[in-house]
Amino acid sequence: MNILKRALPYLGAAVVAFLVAGIFIALMGYDPIKAYATIFGTSFKTPYGFIQTILKWIPLTLQALAFTIPFATGKYNIGGEGQMIAGAIGATAAGILLADLPIYFLLPLEILAGIIAGALWGLVPAYLLFQFKINEILTTVLFNFIAFNLIDYVATGPWSDPTAGHPTTIAVGEGGFLPNILTSQPLNAGVLIALAVAVGVYIYTNRTVSGYELVATGANPKASRAHGINTRVQFLLALVLGAAVAGLSGAIEVAGTHHRLIEGLQSNFLLLGLIIGLIAAGNNMAVPFVAFFIAILEVGARAMQRTMQIPVEMVFIVEALLLIFILLSNVVRRRKA
Amino acid sequence: MSGIEETIISFLKLTMLSMVPFVLASLGTMLGGRTGVYNVAQEGMMLVGASVGFLVGYLTENLFLGMLFAMLTGALFGLLLAYFTTTLKMDQFVVGLALFFAGIGISTLLPKKVIGITLTPPMIPTLQDIPVPLLSKIPFIGEIFFNQNALVYTSILVSIALWYFLFKTNLGLQLRSVGENPKAADSLGVNVVRMRYITTILGGVLIGLAGAYLPMVYTGTFTDGMVKGRGWLAIALTFFGGFSPLPILFGSMFFAGIEVLAYKVQIGGTGIPYQFLLMLPYVMTLIIMIFTYSRARVPAFLGQNYDREKRTL
Repeated sequence: MNILKRALPYLGAAVVAFLVAGIFIALMGYDPIKAYATIFGTSFKTPYGFIQTILKWIPLTLQALAFTIPFATGKYNIGGEGQMIAGAIGATAAGILLADLPIYFLLPLEILAGIIAGALWGLVPAYLLFQFKINEILTTVLFNFIAFNLIDYVATGPWSDPTAGHPTTIAVGEGGFLPNILTSQPLNAGVLIALAVAVGVYIYTNRTVSGYELVATGANPKASRAHGINTRVQFLLALVLGAAVAGLSGAIEVAGTHHRLIEGLQSNFLLLGLIIGLIAAGNNMAVPFVAFFIAILEVGARAMQRTMQIPVEMVFIVEALLLIFILLSNVVRRRKA
Repeated sequence: MSGIEETIISFLKLTMLSMVPFVLASLGTMLGGRTGVYNVAQEGMMLVGASVGFLVGYLTENLFLGMLFAMLTGALFGLLLAYFTTTLKMDQFVVGLALFFAGIGISTLLPKKVIGITLTPPMIPTLQDIPVPLLSKIPFIGEIFFNQNALVYTSILVSIALWYFLFKTNLGLQLRSVGENPKAADSLGVNVVRMRYITTILGGVLIGLAGAYLPMVYTGTFTDGMVKGRGWLAIALTFFGGFSPLPILFGSMFFAGIEVLAYKVQIGGTGIPYQFLLMLPYVMTLIIMIFTYSRARVPAFLGQNYDREKRTL
């Protein structure tokens, strides 16, 4: 009952958001009912659609956590995309340079390289905040743009695969492929890693002392300082931790999905991660569920583009509306209280 | 004219031309910031400005109308930002990010819907240079400063006008007081809410126009994500400029100079992979931030929402 009561404003906000978006879709000259049927149906009509949704869920969950971990301390990591690219580059480098290693060496090294590369990419803005108090929103964003150029360089540089027709590197060694966990469908073990990370982050932030210090820093920095928490260190730690998770998402894209570095593999994951994190209001328990919902929308939107010629960007407006109305429902609740 | 002189003139002329989106977007950010509204939706707002400006310009074959609609769209975004933050008192960053998403979605959706997918990109004519009579004939400076498109002149004039308004008029002083201490401003009879609405909407107008400049001067068409971080750089610039119009103007010249330099070196071919040159504006921004950020003067109430019923700020 309690959960239902708490979920009700969210559901109401979602309904209103879909209504408004539906009017928008109708105004653009499409059939909103058919559009929504496609958006929500695709993930559940076929096993393939469902697996696609799960595959989308992996990076979405990790990107959202990359945002919510620092968000718990009141800091904004808007650099998940750059950190994902750094992670993907790190994993690819390990996967190509050590291509001959057997799977039980190569795969962990590849994933680890991705995590470290992502963490390092996030360390610079985190250090600039720690040392010089430079606003992290700006610096994390600027590192995205640096990463876009870096991935272009790597994908067209010495490791590039000229036969691909798009900036792409050669494949990583076969020992660097994440194994499939189903025989009939292409579902890789990345889903287990993402699940473990999601559970781990929840336990860390909600059930451990160190995680509690993180959350306390965000809830009331002044009180936390008074109680001996070094809030600046907490900011640094949270930002680097978030970046490491974003780096992991890049490594999984390489090891699980593409088996190589492809320019543009980060496409839109940052924004979707932010939307998920903000809809979940930073609640790490809610993140995987919201991520699953957004994954349904994303997979459905691609199908909608194929079958109804509705541009896939439409779903972006739906998501932005969803976020705004959920935020509004918080305002309404605050007014009533 | 010697070759070196020509190179310098061409470099400086391009720099003046490239500073415009930075100047306009940063001034727009500054205006809202001066009353405490910290806008982070610039990138999305500029994209929508670019998209709408291009589309209206393309459909009506009138660039001026394109700019006008880009400004109106920017104003609408500014209004939404003001309403959500100042009236509903929602978190400024979160609202800004939501508007940023909406801007990206709308900017890519509109051209696909209105024009559809074509083999060759639809083009609009780019803005013409308008030589200022007499002044454009001055050697060296004439070509750089007085033979430019209308928005180059506009951005300089707006910077000077805003400086005068903010620092030399009583209304400007009132406006600044809202961003420093809204409670005190309120007690002196300044309408805090109205002030925040006006600055955020006018800021949106400038940011929308900054976006429209890109297809109208650089490319002649709209491409997805064409703002390429200039909206975010504008925030950085506003901080360097200490939320003051003239430092923002000169800071924009400097930023534009780096952008042009990266472009020129890339064309010249030096063996440095071009991707590293393209990183230059972002890397330089980070480096400058380290040296200037702690000294930058920021409105005391920036990023916070004012609630007149609260006893403390």
